[in-house]
This record gives sequence, structure tokens and C-alpha cells, in this order.
Amino acid sequence: MNEELISKKDVLELTGISYGQLYRWKRKNLIPEDWFVRKSTFTGQETFFPKEKILERIEKIQKMKDTLSLDELADMFSPSTANLRMKRADIMAKGIASEPVLNIFLEHQGDMNEFDFHHLMSLYILSALLESGDIHLEEGKMLLQLLNDHQKIVHQPNTVIYFIRKLGISSCLFSVKGEELYFEKGTKVVTTLSVGQSAEELKSKWM
Amino acid sequence: MNTKTLGNLVINGIGSSNGGSFEKVELNGKGTVNGDTECVKFYCNGTGTIHGNVKTGKAKISGAAKINGAVKAEELIINGSASIAEAISSKVMEVSGKSSIGGSVKCDEMTVNGKVSIEGDCETEIFRAEGAFSVAGLLNAETIDIKLFGDSRAKEIGGRNIKVVQHKESLFKLIKSIFPLKLEAEVIEGDEIELEGTVASIVRGKNVKIGKNCEIGLVEYSGEYDCQPGTLVKESRKI
Repeated sequence: MNEELISKKDVLELTGISYGQLYRWKRKNLIPEDWFVRKSTFTGQETFFPKEKILERIEKIQKMKDTLSLDELADMFSPSTANLRMKRADIMAKGIASEPVLNIFLEHQGDMNEFDFHHLMSLYILSALLESGDIHLEEGKMLLQLLNDHQKIVHQPNTVIYFIRKLGISSCLFSVKGEELYFEKGTKVVTTLSVGQSAEELKSKWM
Repeated sequence: MNTKTLGNLVINGIGSSNGGSFEKVELNGKGTVNGDTECVKFYCNGTGTIHGNVKTGKAKISGAAKINGAVKAEELIINGSASIAEAISSKVMEVSGKSSIGGSVKCDEMTVNGKVSIEGDCETEIFRAEGAFSVAGLLNAETIDIKLFGDSRAKEIGGRNIKVVQHKESLFKLIKSIFPLKLEAEVIEGDEIELEGTVASIVRGKNVKIGKNCEIGLVEYSGEYDCQPGTLVKESRKI
């Protein structure tokens, strides 16, 4: 773990929230337990957070807490929203995937009208990677196949998707706990994508 | 769930049963339940042992109960002594007797009149204590209202309003001189903090008021700060 850490005091100062708010959000599971990193300093014990994650999360909460209740927010940040469903027409309206990507997806998965969470996640990840130009069509199909074979990974926020290429041959893999991976020298990591982050983005589009 | 078809599990005397779904579970003698139990009402008046998790609407423990598992309830009242091996989640929790909890506690409203020891964290909206408590992890509540009657401790305390008062009755003065009533914590963080009889390394908050008989290492405040004489604050800083 070589993420940059930020102390609790600095978080409060930077964002202008109070201890009461921070503790309430923790109670409501808006801030995951494993972000609280306890370290001993010369003043005694202090709590630190992964800087980027906590600042982004607090900004999101502050932006959305007027329109959504804390419980709804907690649902959004929790990785398992199994009851998330969407109609075909909504997918383009909410900007989850463009029409060409949707067609590729349907071609591979068979026609459907209602999309469950797994479908939506697969579609969203496919769309993100295809649109970015990092992967091409055949690789997209490979990704969909892998997502179909391991359906439970979309519920695990720690999962990271890797695309690698060596000598023009590409492959795709999932790393569930986000442990470090080491590749041989000739291997190029084309792109990586965090499932947890995609799930959050997807849910914020859905809300 | 159609509760009409469910029966009751009542053990009067010595007996044991397997778990399952019931309308009412009542252990009056020395009852043992092996397995997870789901019921609408749960009463334990004698010595009851449950080897498994309990999920219930209303639970009342008046005798001695030992639950080797987790408890999920709408309302949990402990008048006797209870030892629960794993986590508790309940809307309302009231402890008038003695209880020790091996896991974490999550409630909306928690009242402690007796003695509670919690091995994990304690998260609740309202925490009211007039007894002794010990929390090995973090005590996190919107409102924390503690009247010190016994030695209490928590590793960390966090919330919005934190208020600790010492009892004033004269009878207690005598006992107090022998057994000083103290609340011990490493860190106390909140918006509005009022402390009496507290020993803490660090207190951080917006408005901090330190009353009598405190021993605080460092106070950090952003709003108002008030410290009464007869108390020990090594350092205070406005940030």
C-alpha cells in the first residue's frame, strides 16, 4: 500500500465537515471501515485515510446529500445493489452505453429488454473500455465472455480488470483482491479498470 | 413469512431443542437450543443457551443467557445477565443487568443502566449510559450522554454531542473517594464536547468544555474552549 494518506484533521479542514458528520457517515457505511488507517504518531494515535478516495467520496456525499437520503447514498456506495434493473430504452437515455456498444453487447448476450445488475456492469465496463479506444472489438467479446464466466466479480469492489498484450496477442484477467501483479518484460499492460469505481459511476448515473 | 403456521418453542425445566422458525421462544428453566433460531418473540427467564444465531422481533433476557452467535432484533432488553459471542444489531437496546458482547453492536438507540462490555465497536444514534461500560473499539454515536456511576472506558469516542457528567449525590462522594469514577478513552472527537471525570490523551472538537476531575493530554478546538479549575489539561490548542 503506497497510497498517499491524509490525517483526519486535514480532511476536516480541507472539506469543512465536522467530526459529527464524519462519524455519522461512518455509521451509515458511507465511508468504509477499511479506509480508517490507524497509525501512531508523536501525539498519540491518529486516524488516516487514503487521500484521493476520501476526498472524492466526501465531495460526492456533499454534492448529493441534498437530493438523496443518507440511506440511499449508502446503497449507492455499497457494491452490492442486486436489485438494480434498467430497461433498454433507459440505457442510452442515461448515458450508460452508446447504441453501437449496446448492439455489440446484445449480439453477444442475446436479445434482452430488461438488464439486471450484472448485465449493466458488463455493459458499462465494455462501453468504458471500447470508448476509450484501449481495446478493440474482439477483445471486448473476450471480456464479456470472462465476465459471464465469473459473474460474482461485479459484486466485489476490490476487483481490478487488466488487459495485457504481448507480441500482438491480447489477454484479459481479473485480480480480485487488488494484490500486486508482476508481468514479464515483453508484456504490455494496456489498461486497468477498477470494478468498484465502475459500479459507483454506474449507480450515480442510475440515481 | 406467514407466522400463523409457526408454533412456539417453550422449555420449562431442563430440555434441549433444535433451532428453527417459531412464533415465540421461551426458555424458563435450563434450556438449550442447538441451531439458528428465528422468532417473533424471544424470552429467556432461566438459564438459556443458544448455539447459533438469533433473529427476532422482541427479545427479553431476564435470566442468564448465553448466545454463541449473533443477535438481530428490533428490540433487545437485557435485565439479567447475557453473554453474546458475536455481533448485535437491534433498533433499540436496553441493558439493565450485565452483558458482555463478543462482537460489535449496531443500534439506533442504546441505553445502559447496568454493565456492558463490548469487544468490538459500538455504533448507535443515541447512546445513554448510567452504568459502567467498556468498549474495546470505537464508540460512535450522534448523541452520547454518560452519567458516570462506575469505571467506564472506550478506546475511541466519536460523535456530535458528547456529554459526560459525574454523579453528585453525597453517598457517592464517600465511595468515590475510594473508587474514583472515571471514564477513560484514548481519543474523544466530537462537535460539542462536555467532560467531567474523564481521562483522555486527546480531545478534539468544535466547542470543548472541560469540567472537574479531568486529566487530558491535549485539547484541540476550533470554536470555544472552557476549562474549569481543579482539572488537569496539559496542553490546549486552537486550530
